Amino acid sequence: MDNIVRVADNIITSLGFSTKENFENLKQGKSGIQLTTDPKITQVPMPCSQVDSEKLNAEFSKIGNSDQFTRLEKMMILSIQDSVNHSGIDPSKEDSLFVFSSVKGNIDLIEDENHPFEKERINLWAIAEKVSGFFNSKTKPIFVSNACISGATAIITAAQYLANKKYKHAIVCGGDIISEFTPSGFQSFKAVSDEPCKPFDASRTGITLGEGVGTIILSTDKNAVKEENPVVFRGGANTNDANHISGPSRTGDGLYFAIKKAFKQAGKSDTNIDYISAHGTATPYNDEMESKAISWAKLNHVPVNSLKGYWGHTLGAAGIIECIAGIHSIKENCLIKSLGYSEHGVSEPLNVIKNFEEKEIRNFLKTASGFGGSNAAVYFSTLNAD
Amino acid sequence: MESIISDYCIIKPHKVTVNGKTEITDTEKSEFGAFMKSIYKHYEIKYPKYFKMDNLCKIAFLASEIILKNNNAIQEINPDRVGVIIQNSHSSLDTDSKYYETIKDKSNYFPSPAVFVYTLPNVMIGEICIRNKFQGENTCFISRDFDPEFLTDYVNELLDSDKIDACITGWADYIEGEYSAILFLVRKNKENKKDNISFKPEIINRLIN
Repeated sequence: MDNIVRVADNIITSLGFSTKENFENLKQGKSGIQLTTDPKITQVPMPCSQVDSEKLNAEFSKIGNSDQFTRLEKMMILSIQDSVNHSGIDPSKEDSLFVFSSVKGNIDLIEDENHPFEKERINLWAIAEKVSGFFNSKTKPIFVSNACISGATAIITAAQYLANKKYKHAIVCGGDIISEFTPSGFQSFKAVSDEPCKPFDASRTGITLGEGVGTIILSTDKNAVKEENPVVFRGGANTNDANHISGPSRTGDGLYFAIKKAFKQAGKSDTNIDYISAHGTATPYNDEMESKAISWAKLNHVPVNSLKGYWGHTLGAAGIIECIAGIHSIKENCLIKSLGYSEHGVSEPLNVIKNFEEKEIRNFLKTASGFGGSNAAVYFSTLNAD
Repeated sequence: MESIISDYCIIKPHKVTVNGKTEITDTEKSEFGAFMKSIYKHYEIKYPKYFKMDNLCKIAFLASEIILKNNNAIQEINPDRVGVIIQNSHSSLDTDSKYYETIKDKSNYFPSPAVFVYTLPNVMIGEICIRNKFQGENTCFISRDFDPEFLTDYVNELLDSDKIDACITGWADYIEGEYSAILFLVRKNKENKKDNISFKPEIINRLIN
């Protein structure tokens, strides 16, 4: 596939409210993870990556009424607005489709009996209607909730849907917030690390949670981009490893199949990849499984990182913001250091990126895995790349 | 190429319909749990993991079992090429509320991983994949109402682009005692037959009403 171009994007996390700000921090190796003791989030001290609420409300009040939207909706609207501003696309036109992803949506409303919103606002589709409504969208939004691969699935869904030519442009936006709900659940699984997460490291003990939103605008209209050599979506696939609802396959077969199918859609038969942005949650099982899948796909030589050490595991945003960061690694020809990694801790050899490096990057692969046995792979490259 | 509905199952309060034929009518109007158990028994399903599932997974799982049991069409297809794409309205909200009750009161704080894992709507898809070893495309879409137009567009595109050969697809929803499941087994049409049922929104709307 070479007809779906990336037009514009935005990332909102603890590391900033734009892709530029976030990516600069990644380049400098700066993490947004901090220890929190907020009782509304955790009963024990926990590292986590949070979006500055004061800044969020201040930024939002420039474009809308802060009281009418939930925390997640505000982040989504700001993120979409910034992307749209950089795109020249009119989201209110009938050729623009909205695709959303989130794992828990407005779950903070369940924790606050006195919240000012209508009861139905707890539903994921209500978020889609509110947020796309802000942009006067005339099309029915699509909402994906596929656990930790949701963001990657949303991008694949958008590309799949653009292929049937009903729409020209897709605004793909995904995110999740941190409240009490998610940390308590992961803590009950004993899956949360006491220190900032260390993907692929020998001493890794689990995930660090984060909140954030990402937006990427994809289009089949070549005129929507000014660049001569834009980044294009080549292929993507969701698979299931059919093993266990809360544990990844021991062999990595599901993720390997996803990579294979993404390459098949791209018409790619070689292993010429410049960079892999792994899921790398830093749980013992996930990283081990991923190393096996990467090895099975014969991609051990490819520089790989996990960005979770910078902004934590951002659930419904992860697949999107990590694809955006990968696209900017292509655009800026650089590899971001895999933060938290020092001693190799998975059974297969991997080329984990130890230091920031400037290097020509033309094609990149994003992988993701999650509860429910889900796996996803997304492959982007420059238009001129082979 | 056109795709066709090879089998379908509808579970609504007190009634199970399979390929257009009513197979169970619960005259006692039992509550959800008892009704699901009677379905499980009626079709002689033997799968102990069923009893660990939350209500959303139970209804989606049972509808899939009814379609797939003794199904020759599915046996011919590589499980790696079978997708599971299900739409739902209330996500996992019913279980979310139950889970939240376990952490609400700090003097009685007992979050359970066994409950937490069901606070994800796509776990119903995972359960169906695990049972049948399906490894193809799987996505959970959330929509206010069942949306056959979107679903047919999406699933037909997956079949047409050769990503999958067959798909378990449709709708499953559970919230506070209200429930419904409408699942189809859809596959590529191999030969034109008079009684083929096309996988199109207008046909689906006719079948479910």
